[in-house]
Amino acid sequence: MAVSINEAVSTDPARDRTPPARRFGGRGLSVLEIAVLTVLAAVMLFPVLWMIETSIKENRDVYAIPAKFFDFQVTLDHFKDVFFSSGGGRSSLSVSFLNSVVVAGVSTVLATVLGVPAAWAYSRFAVKAKKDQLFFILSTRFMPPVVVVIPIFLMYRQLGLIDTKLGLILIYTAFNVPFTIWMMKGFVDEVPAEYEDAAMLDGYTRLQAFRRFTLPLLLPGIAATAVFALIFSWNEFVFAIFLTSSDSVRTAPPAIAGLIGGTTVDWGLVAAASVVFALPVLVFAYLVRKHLIAGVTLGAVRR
Amino acid sequence: MSDPVPLTTDHPGQVASATPPAPGWSRRLSDRWLTVAFISPALLLLLAMSVFPLLWALYLSFTDYSATRGGSAHFVWFENYTAILTSAQVHQRALTTLIYVVGAVTLQTVLGFTIAYLISRRTHGRGLLTTLFLIPMMLSPVVVGLFWRFMLDAQFGVINSMLGSLGLGQVEWLTRQQTALISLILVDTWQWTPFIMLIALAGLTAVPKYLYEAASIDRASEWFRFRTITLPLVWPLLLIAVLFRAIEAFRLFELVYILTSGGPGVSTETLSFHVYKVAFLGFNTGTASAYGILMVLIVIVLTQLYLRYLNKLKED
Amino acid sequence: MRYPKRLGRLSAAMLLATAVAACGGGTEASAPKAPATIPELTKDPLTLSFIWFEWPPAQALEAFANAEYTKDRPNVTIKVNTVPNANWHDAIFTQFAAHKTDFDIPILDSQHIGEAVTNGNIVDITDFVKQNIDVNAYNPYLLAAYGQFPQAETGKRDENASLYGLPLLGDTWTMIYRKDLIGDKPPQTWDEMIAAAAKCQADNPGVSGLAFHQANGSDAAAVTYNTVNGVYGGNLWDPKTRKIEGVLNDAAGQEAMDVLVNKMKPLTATGSGNWFIDEVNAAVAQGKACIAFNWIAASGGLLDPKQSTLGTTREEILGKLGFATLPSQKTNLVPLGGMGMHVSAYSSEANQAEALNFMKWFQQADIQKKWAAAGGVPSRTDALESPEFLNAGPFNKVYADSVPRMRDMWNVPEYARLVDIENTNVNAALNGAETPKDALNDIAKEQQAVLDSSGSKGGGGL
Repeated sequence: MAVSINEAVSTDPARDRTPPARRFGGRGLSVLEIAVLTVLAAVMLFPVLWMIETSIKENRDVYAIPAKFFDFQVTLDHFKDVFFSSGGGRSSLSVSFLNSVVVAGVSTVLATVLGVPAAWAYSRFAVKAKKDQLFFILSTRFMPPVVVVIPIFLMYRQLGLIDTKLGLILIYTAFNVPFTIWMMKGFVDEVPAEYEDAAMLDGYTRLQAFRRFTLPLLLPGIAATAVFALIFSWNEFVFAIFLTSSDSVRTAPPAIAGLIGGTTVDWGLVAAASVVFALPVLVFAYLVRKHLIAGVTLGAVRR
Repeated sequence: MSDPVPLTTDHPGQVASATPPAPGWSRRLSDRWLTVAFISPALLLLLAMSVFPLLWALYLSFTDYSATRGGSAHFVWFENYTAILTSAQVHQRALTTLIYVVGAVTLQTVLGFTIAYLISRRTHGRGLLTTLFLIPMMLSPVVVGLFWRFMLDAQFGVINSMLGSLGLGQVEWLTRQQTALISLILVDTWQWTPFIMLIALAGLTAVPKYLYEAASIDRASEWFRFRTITLPLVWPLLLIAVLFRAIEAFRLFELVYILTSGGPGVSTETLSFHVYKVAFLGFNTGTASAYGILMVLIVIVLTQLYLRYLNKLKED
Repeated sequence: MRYPKRLGRLSAAMLLATAVAACGGGTEASAPKAPATIPELTKDPLTLSFIWFEWPPAQALEAFANAEYTKDRPNVTIKVNTVPNANWHDAIFTQFAAHKTDFDIPILDSQHIGEAVTNGNIVDITDFVKQNIDVNAYNPYLLAAYGQFPQAETGKRDENASLYGLPLLGDTWTMIYRKDLIGDKPPQTWDEMIAAAAKCQADNPGVSGLAFHQANGSDAAAVTYNTVNGVYGGNLWDPKTRKIEGVLNDAAGQEAMDVLVNKMKPLTATGSGNWFIDEVNAAVAQGKACIAFNWIAASGGLLDPKQSTLGTTREEILGKLGFATLPSQKTNLVPLGGMGMHVSAYSSEANQAEALNFMKWFQQADIQKKWAAAGGVPSRTDALESPEFLNAGPFNKVYADSVPRMRDMWNVPEYARLVDIENTNVNAALNGAETPKDALNDIAKEQQAVLDSSGSKGGGGL
């Protein structure tokens, strides 16, 4: 599996491996392929475009039949509503965004701090029943969240962690640690152990060798791994809705879900909130695009 | 949960000091100590937050405990399990889940591979295309569910509006038995086709060029090359992608909760959604725990079988 | 899942510890009693927290209480936390289950009282009410519906039963009709209403005859069926013998289901099978429905020109929209909606005292009138008859006229499951996933099983 997304998304024509499509089908086939690809791209991207469009429409136009694609009044009111409440001051949505930043941020840092050293140790040292341990670690990710939420809830009840940011942070960390270990182990495997051996011959301890020579080489990998942990915590809904309830703790996904089911649905606001909420994830995903495959498969598919 | 190693106290990027201190302990001892110190915090967290709750659920699954009614838990042993396994309600949800998982994953695989194949044959704009195609996958399931509910609304939704412009009638996307399940599959497919595409693309671009060159010397047909060179090399990667998707689809909750809340009637209630109702409507914690344990067992057993099959495939 | 033996032993030890905790930690569920007189209140800053679902009355309550209550109690801040409507029951009872609440005053749906009382989650305020509240100022059924357990007979109150809450916001369904399409005079009987809707739909292409709640979430489709059931003389159950099977699905019940599915549903818009409060409002505001049914407390937005295509001013919209009490048929029953306020058993003493003080304050005649003027629906008879209330909205007279006609659902600990069974099956019938007859029989059978199975072993809740 000698692949990385780096190559997959490469636009460098010099490394083009594409077999020439012109040999048999000729130009016609190529045009057909482009046409199909364009249609598929349009279908996949239309909902996103429609969401952005809805976020800048007046509510009157949102419900218009037939739908208005171009001739509508542009307004930024919905975006204003995302951040400010009608009476001035911060809206509860913006508070939930801040909560999301705290919960996702702290849990990501924790998962990284716990996961990276463990990944290094699993990669470098002989550990008893290593394969079993690694599979066990992975399998904790297989549990349906709806199932785990019940015992977690009972446990948090005893510990007083219900409806606290700490509670969410802990469970998100626990869900991100297996992922971090698996993905980071791959990155560590790629750094030759000889670097550390050489350093130790120079008199460094193993720990120092790790810190001064291996860790700097791992930084890009750590960044990529952290972004994926961040995305998971950022988008998570099930734990958030069952373990929290107050405005001051609630993260953005349940807050956005709460925008419907009142007396009127402000789809413009829903769309604007969704756009604002999705932006950080899209930016981060773009930044780590080279590691996307490893990121979404817990490192199971990678170079 | 304290940081076991002061990873961040200095800047590891620079190898500033060139005077290494003398090693204090013997290397072996230090390695063992490091292993324990580095692995145990992570394992302890997993024990506390994943294993312990699971074992607790296992214990509760043998009782009639209810989280709200309080009182002590009475052992009913396997009665929860037999009740679940023999319940017609559960069988119905299992069938719904099966249709949903098979339908969604199949559709995603076909579409994702097609897109990847088409992209891999382009010379220009690959990076841009790939990035654009990936957007749906990055969105929160809540956002995806809400927005598709808006778009699929029979009266005000843009999909029916467009169908209307084409002279087609209104489709009840979310309120008819068959269409609701199809809508669920379609929305999941929209969000997760990029996942398959991404992995397939990785496989496709990795096919060594010399194989194609050899094939073109043989004047092999396009289809022949696809079937004998491309597919066999991409196949293992695709199977892994399918496994990941199937596990995720099996756990699906958010989309059902937001898009259809199981309706019409109970026709789009998946196992995940049903276990939620058992757990939170009547707070039948014992039953819900047994239900959850069974779901985890299914995932683990099926995954093991599948991986074993994959390994066998590889060996052949 | 395999892991090293040592881990296994460790987990086993933890499991044992848990088992002990779970067995020993159980508390006897019985509601704690509130004192008859309000204990001394604190002078320190205090936040009194409510929990409700996300809708305009929640914001109205927070604004109103912070403006008025703080005149008496300047050191108190009122916070109304809100959760998505679909998550309302789960959010409150999850916290109850945790024996730790971040709210002092839960605002419960009237049918949730049974579950909360049986589990000991809310405080018994019988003595407090005797000392502090003038019970004669209310229609007795309102006091019973929002506070009494066990449940009262429809229309009455049992003076000897315990009280666990006081009314916060009254509510019932109103019929919303297009005066410009079906005339100024609202239909008086259910048959007339259906005929008017059918005629209106035929005369006005693009406008559907009816719009009402059909969704399978919350209590949407269930309230719709219960309303038709009541109007056609049916009963939801026999509370004395706890019988649903044979009562709900008797001839009257079958007729009600037939009217709902075969006469009313065909007059609704295509794809309206998942509509709840907001979709019905949207249909009315977009001019797509001749006659609609919705909760009064959720109807305020209909008069907002910003969200409506019916007119550019409130007056213009009111020229087209009429609000009326529900038509009657064999009976004149209407659904009881709204919510009461309760005191969490897990709040601190200071907050419980403040909560009691708030409730006493809230139930005064002049405060109830101010609440009415602020957009709330009061419960005291004098406030309901006051011009402050009747002039605050065109639907308020509808509420005042509906009070003697109200009927509630079952208020039992199993409510959440009963209503889910009814919701999913009525929703299935409305959307063609089940025949009306089968759906009603299934509801009766499954609900009866839930009532009967309380206490049986294994597989409960499936």
